Amino acid sequence: MKYELTDDQASVLAGLDQLLGGFDSAPPTAPVLFDYAAGLDRTLAESGFLDIAREDGFGALDAALIVERLARLPQVVEAAASALVAPALGVPAGTRPVALLSGPLTKPARFLPQAQVLLADRGDHALMITVEPDNVETVETLFAYPYGRLKTLDGVAQTRIDDVAALRRRWRTALAAEAAGCMASGLETILEHVKTRQAFGQPLGAFQAIQHRLAMAAETVESTRYLAFRAAWSDSESDAAIAAAFAQTRIAQLTYDLHQFAGAMSMTLEFPLHLWTYRLRALAGELGGGSRQARAAALATWGEAA
Amino acid sequence: MSSIEQFRQEARAWLAANVPSEPPPEDGPASRAFVLAWQRRQAEGGWAGINWPKELGGRGLSVMEQIVWFEEYARAGAPTLHNASFVGLNHAGPTLYVCGTAAQKAEHLPPILKGETIWCQGFSEPGSGSDLASLKTRGEVQGDHIVINGQKIWSSFADIADVQELLIRTDPTAKTGQALSWVICPMDTPGLTVRPIRTMAGVRKYCEVFYDDVRIPLANVVGGLNNGWATAMSTLSFERGTASLALLIGLTLQVEKLLADCPASRPQMRARLAGLRAEGASIRAMNYRVALDSENSVPDATGSMVRLAFAEFSKRVSAAAVDLYGLDAPETVGAHGWAHDYLDAFSETIAGGTAEIQRNIIGERVLGLPKGPR
Repeated sequence: MKYELTDDQASVLAGLDQLLGGFDSAPPTAPVLFDYAAGLDRTLAESGFLDIAREDGFGALDAALIVERLARLPQVVEAAASALVAPALGVPAGTRPVALLSGPLTKPARFLPQAQVLLADRGDHALMITVEPDNVETVETLFAYPYGRLKTLDGVAQTRIDDVAALRRRWRTALAAEAAGCMASGLETILEHVKTRQAFGQPLGAFQAIQHRLAMAAETVESTRYLAFRAAWSDSESDAAIAAAFAQTRIAQLTYDLHQFAGAMSMTLEFPLHLWTYRLRALAGELGGGSRQARAAALATWGEAA
Repeated sequence: MSSIEQFRQEARAWLAANVPSEPPPEDGPASRAFVLAWQRRQAEGGWAGINWPKELGGRGLSVMEQIVWFEEYARAGAPTLHNASFVGLNHAGPTLYVCGTAAQKAEHLPPILKGETIWCQGFSEPGSGSDLASLKTRGEVQGDHIVINGQKIWSSFADIADVQELLIRTDPTAKTGQALSWVICPMDTPGLTVRPIRTMAGVRKYCEVFYDDVRIPLANVVGGLNNGWATAMSTLSFERGTASLALLIGLTLQVEKLLADCPASRPQMRARLAGLRAEGASIRAMNYRVALDSENSVPDATGSMVRLAFAEFSKRVSAAAVDLYGLDAPETVGAHGWAHDYLDAFSETIAGGTAEIQRNIIGERVLGLPKGPR
């Protein structure tokens, strides 16, 4: 794995950054728990960036680069499943947003209220389910993403997909890439704060107790990013499970540390950190959470003997 | 049967017959009404202020009976004490008891127990959190009053409180130890404005409080004019050492429920919860020791060990609960679910002195290490 962007990748990300220029600020309205960024969604759909893995000469790594970059925005939009999961499962281009689900089919799923298609992990196979808006019930949650559940399974159009491993593999890579972006923006928010906020006559960031924990936070962010990119590059089950396990098991400590150093202000909706905390907490629970990904990583790496 | 065991049986029987069945509202006027009504019911039943003196409306029993009451209270699933009654019962009240005049105690302590008043805290300011001694809210002595101007923040339940324990700067030229005053501030005093702040946990619990020429009688100073730092240290010692005892006991019982709900097919989660069970038991033992050692006095610096351990424990328990139940369990959404508790627990290592401040206190005052740079 090379650690430098290719010319094509650098060009793609520069184009993406130009496109996202208008979406870099947090929602300007009164504090809201979440609000689906429909404008950004339209812009992304029209631009074709989310279809990059389907293009000749590009692949999952390029999609992961885009997902990580998009997750840094203080906007909630479905990108990871569209860019990384859907192409591997045969979902037609343009059929999005995409919701993902494991467990019972009527369990809440992220982005289901917006989704055109639901990809479900059914254990020994996957299902591609066409989502009718009337068949989705919105679910109340504190975790920032729009959640919904199917009201009924009667009459839903569904297609069986045998390669459930592809769903899990790409889903793990996608959630790690998305988590990496959220982590990076959360860390950046707090670094700005501790450089300017004064206590005991000096910036908070001058205290070693704070520097040490933020240094560990930076290690988590960097590691998550490279594990996600490695998983996308190799497209292997073990790398994907390791990336997701690492991201999910680090999220609680990382978010605790980031909030700690903005004090009570970090608990308010007036301080932007919650935008990423909500999303990270939701990602931490996907596909059964970090310990399940760790078991999957052990199985993929060492087999049943582990 | 020992007297303690008899007390336990009586408490258990009363709670079984009196614990409200409806869930407590999280914030706002409904929360105030609920908290005061429940406190009144406990007072009328003789279960308020178990170890507070009889002349102030308490039962005049020992800390041991108070602990037993908290144990039975948690066992009965009674309403959380992490509510608007917390400040009055657990640190404003105890501070008045050790630092207040006879008149102040007589006026303010019985109404706390009888469910007539709610207290809030006014210590932190927008520019003064961990560095509390840098606070700027000014109190100028004019005749027999103090005129207050400034701003406080993170004052939980200030929007529904009657009285505030307020820390102000009354001598702008003196060093911290001689510059501050701890005053009793009625929340209906003209010039006082409260603005609730919604938190990421979905409740409006914290408030900003603005003071614009707020006039407080000098007689409301507790512990002496310009001696407020010492009084505030008493308040914080109670907040750290004993205030969360009931919450801790409740949390350890919640761990038991998590263990009961955890299927055998999830051995890692069971192991994690078992570790939390051990951690909870150890913190309880430590907290019982601090409470018993500080009977009728201010807890010492080891209270910071309790505060630190409890804060970290609460975060770990709520994180484990969210991981156990996942997002699909109905109880994980809404104001009373684990999702709320998980997000609210982020504040545990911030409130009452951050975890970093507690570690400094433990290092310097418990372990006797040299003071670090501030």
